[in-house]
Amino acid sequence: MKAILILLFLPLLAWAEPATVIRATELKKEPATDAVTVAELRENTHVDALERRGGWTRVTAGAAEGWVKMLALRYGTPGTQGETGLSQIFNVARTGSSGTQVTTGVRGLEAEQIANAQPNAAELGKMQAYAATPDAAASFAAQAKLEARSVEEPQ
Amino acid sequence: MIRWLLLVAALAAFPAQAQFKFDLNRAIDAVKSLGRASMEIDEKQEIEIGRDLAARLLGAAPLVNNAGLQRYVNNVGRWLASQTGRPELPWRFGVLDAPQVNAFAVPGGTIFVTRGLLQRMRSEAELAGVLAHEIAHVVKKHHLKAIQKSAQAELAGEALSLAMKDSSSEARGKLVRFGTEMYSRGLDKSDEMEADRLGVVIAARGGYDAYGLPAVLQTLQAMNPEDSALALMFKTHPAPAERLQALSEKMQPTLDAYAGQPSVMERFRQAVQTK
Repeated sequence: MKAILILLFLPLLAWAEPATVIRATELKKEPATDAVTVAELRENTHVDALERRGGWTRVTAGAAEGWVKMLALRYGTPGTQGETGLSQIFNVARTGSSGTQVTTGVRGLEAEQIANAQPNAAELGKMQAYAATPDAAASFAAQAKLEARSVEEPQ
Repeated sequence: MIRWLLLVAALAAFPAQAQFKFDLNRAIDAVKSLGRASMEIDEKQEIEIGRDLAARLLGAAPLVNNAGLQRYVNNVGRWLASQTGRPELPWRFGVLDAPQVNAFAVPGGTIFVTRGLLQRMRSEAELAGVLAHEIAHVVKKHHLKAIQKSAQAELAGEALSLAMKDSSSEARGKLVRFGTEMYSRGLDKSDEMEADRLGVVIAARGGYDAYGLPAVLQTLQAMNPEDSALALMFKTHPAPAERLQALSEKMQPTLDAYAGQPSVMERFRQAVQTK
């Protein structure tokens, strides 16, 4: 019964996943370090993640709601095992496509299938045809207001 | 010079008409005994080997039959590649029609992401994060160096350079086999960690929300690790939790400085949903 209820509500949610806070973390009212602290979450507090914005994730923790540092979260709980079916449905709700059938098929990208694959020149040719020129890619980026930045390579 | 002469002598032992089909192993043994030659694969050869490897991966799974989606991924990828130290490579990007969750970098600038992984992403910034990680492997020549290392252990430099001249040669077949094995065995962990760090940088340079790659790693971490769709990815990469930990230790300032950049959700949804 509980499962059915969850299924019914799934399409209404953009995204909601159980997660655990991996270290003591402040629950903030807004996604910013200087925002008001709504609650102090202890290590291993269970929360539900709702949405991400930059380095912050909006969560509910019991009755409280707010933002925590994204990297303070670990998704899944020990009980996650066997919920693959659920996440499949999730996937359908999220992408609108038919989702993925996670089965070991005849064709696909398991180690053995890669090892035994024969070259497919026709598909390689197709891929060349889909290539983008640097100029086309730059205007594509500009359409989404993406701007090139100078960012140092890490040491 | 002496090595060359000996190789020529070794080859001369075979009948002339069989020169292109010479017994490679005997030739290798002959040259091997001369010691290890240092062997460099130049960029032209890198691209050639890459084409062979890409064709092999496409034999395991073809492209998703959706021209709009393929062009979309090429635009995202090409824009990112332009922000790297190897902008001039013939960069190609493809979505493989496979349920497995994975992505592959092929020397010379070919990048694949699977349908299974794409469907678990939520924004263009997440796609950019994954493509940037793979682009980083190509920029740093991780696979190429690994192939080179196996080749050096198995093939002598001279036999290899002969092989490079003839794409139908047995030696070329061997090279491609080393490369193919790389995708089932995985790279060194340090290569993966480096690609994560540089991937974050490349996505940020492209103007994307820098948290795209960490977000995908969190998605992977939330999946059932027993899920067969993850088997190869988990076998060939460090655990997502470990990768996230490393990024938060080493890249927090970069991540935060570029967290406010666009994540481009709407365009991504449209491109991925149109079937």
